[in-house]
Amino acid sequence: MSNDLIIKQLRVRIGEKEILKGVDLTVQQGTIHAIMGPNGSGKSTLAYSIAGHPGYEVTDGEIWYKGQNVLELDVDERSKLGLFLAFQYPVSIPGLTVNNFLRSAINAHRAEEGKDPKETAMSVAEFRKLLREHMRQLEMSEDFARRYLNDGFSGGEKKRLEILQMAMLKPSMAVMDETDSGLDIDALKIVANGVNALMNPGMGVLVITHYQRLLNYIKPDVVSIMMEGRVVRSGGPELALALEEKGYDWIREEVTTHA
Amino acid sequence: MPDTLFRSTNGLPGLGALGADDISAMSQSAGEPGWLTEQRLAAWTFFAQALPPVWRRTDLTQLQPETIAPLSGIQGTSILADDAVTRQGVVMMPLLAATKSHEALVRQYLGKAIDPMSHKFSALRAALWQDGMLLYVPRGVEVAAPLRVTYQLADGSRAIFPYSLVILEAHAQLNLIEEYTSPDLDQPALAGPTTEIFVGPGSHIRYASVQTWGQGIHHLGSQMIVLDRDAAGEWVSLSLGGKVQHIEAESRMQGDGSAINWLGATFANQQQHLLTAPWLRHIGSNTNSLMDFKTVVSGEGYSVFDGMIKIEHESRATSTRLEEHAIHLTPKARSDSIPGLKIDTNDVAKAGHASTSGQIEDEHLFYMQSRGMSQEEARRLIVMGFFDPALQALPADDLRERLTALIEAKI
Ligand SMILES: Nc1ncnc2c1ncn2[C@@H]1O[C@H](COP(=O)(O)OP(=O)(O)OP(=O)(O)O)[C@@H](O)[C@H]1O
Ligand SMILES: [Mg+2]
Repeated sequence: MSNDLIIKQLRVRIGEKEILKGVDLTVQQGTIHAIMGPNGSGKSTLAYSIAGHPGYEVTDGEIWYKGQNVLELDVDERSKLGLFLAFQYPVSIPGLTVNNFLRSAINAHRAEEGKDPKETAMSVAEFRKLLREHMRQLEMSEDFARRYLNDGFSGGEKKRLEILQMAMLKPSMAVMDETDSGLDIDALKIVANGVNALMNPGMGVLVITHYQRLLNYIKPDVVSIMMEGRVVRSGGPELALALEEKGYDWIREEVTTHA
Repeated sequence: MPDTLFRSTNGLPGLGALGADDISAMSQSAGEPGWLTEQRLAAWTFFAQALPPVWRRTDLTQLQPETIAPLSGIQGTSILADDAVTRQGVVMMPLLAATKSHEALVRQYLGKAIDPMSHKFSALRAALWQDGMLLYVPRGVEVAAPLRVTYQLADGSRAIFPYSLVILEAHAQLNLIEEYTSPDLDQPALAGPTTEIFVGPGSHIRYASVQTWGQGIHHLGSQMIVLDRDAAGEWVSLSLGGKVQHIEAESRMQGDGSAINWLGATFANQQQHLLTAPWLRHIGSNTNSLMDFKTVVSGEGYSVFDGMIKIEHESRATSTRLEEHAIHLTPKARSDSIPGLKIDTNDVAKAGHASTSGQIEDEHLFYMQSRGMSQEEARRLIVMGFFDPALQALPADDLRERLTALIEAKI
């Protein structure tokens, strides 16, 4: 059984429009894999498809993780399998406190079939302690926990909350969709430290970004480039540096010449 | 805290068989003051002659008043007073008894906010009320812990017309919880509550009105808070039970500088029809109001929000905002929202309303499920969150827990 995330020839449609046109990608356990690519190339679509968004119709291809056919799993089952998506645009839910939201998420992960959820639930004291630790690490003030989920949060605060959720849920495969956008340079460091602290040999990370500056802190082992619904190039960290310097045109040219 | 429960067993004939003679005989035999007997008779006469009001969205066809017998005497009033506040001069007692012991006070205020002759059912309530409470807070007295009155109905084919009369003198503070409860009844029953609350200059009231009747009850009620100069109110209205509800409610900002903050939560499921018509009436100048009502419907439930902001001619520099949001959990559930705005002055500081209705957003469900929650759990959290502002505003933990459980059971 492999703890790599394996994506083969994935084709995805939104409505009538084909967005992913055969994506091949493997995120190896214990590695950080960066995806870059122009706006609209399908990066978020790939992230949503891994998480199982019902609006994205998979017409062909496969996703495998931990020996499971991910495409057959419900959204919540994918989460329980260890997959996590840090959203590019997290939703806000007025009325639902961060506290209650996180507790329900954690307890959903701890629930076991045939057992009373009350038995498997984390004690309130333990939860509070865990939450406080992680909030401290992400330099979030404690009153965030009492606020409504993302309600009136700044762009940067929303992104930090995504990482807080990741820290609390401890996924083994995290997809981070432009978590760096909207973060000031201090917040970027804090968030990157948070991610690095979670990293372990059993864990894989797929980080979607437009900017090298994030990759200075979260150092990728592999960089892949997406264009028009396909992964067109993979390489080492130097690929990201080349993009930063030269933009996408040279790759676009290479890809079209080869096609 | 002594729990005083007043009960007797005598009843009246069904509404169909009842006449003016019965009304005056009952009033006289109870030794009521003459003015009250006259008020009851006038109201009964009005009731007997008036056509039912035209309520397009309240279905009364299943209510058969002629088979329903009004309770006589105090049978369903439970008053939870507090010795400490009584020593401060607070009066909290059955209204029927208060018509004798505090006759002048009751006479001065009874029926002065809600006109008994508004329509057929207000007249019926004024003619037949027995259960009820007088709550009087003297000048400068501050009651922080909640005082509670509960109106209960034990049997079907009965009618209860509880009357709460609440008076705060100047610079007083009160925290009041008023509840309506019953078991599920297999015969239709009628509840016709009236609540009049007078808040004196500079006074402050927190008022929670909580309707959790069992099945089978038609609730045709009326509530009003009248705010004097610089008085303020925080009102939480919860409507969860019963078969049919028609509540006319009003915050009347009579005095300059008065203000209301009003939260509401309604949940209609199965075949419940729950209507609330909350009015914000601005009469004084520099008055402020904020209304935020939440509605959830599921099953074949139907809910109506018939809210109104009314700014009277003499009001200046009013500031008001009305919000109403509805969530539909099932395709057959319905809700109507008819927010209105009538402005009879040209001096308004701010006036606005917003209203939305629809299903739970798929993006919200997806986000929560992507954190491992099942769809049911996600829906439960979203609905509870929707009602959270109203639930948090309740002044007692035990009540909040009971209502949380009740709402969860309805999801
Ligand atoms: N709900 C939708 N309906 C129709 N088209 C959509 C929808 N969502 C995305 N698309 C289209 O799919 C394509 C890929 O979008 P996606 O969000 O995956 O791009 P991206 O690579 O994440 O871009 P960015 O860098 O701007 O975040 C775009 O052309 C977009 O317009
Ligand atoms: Mg994107």
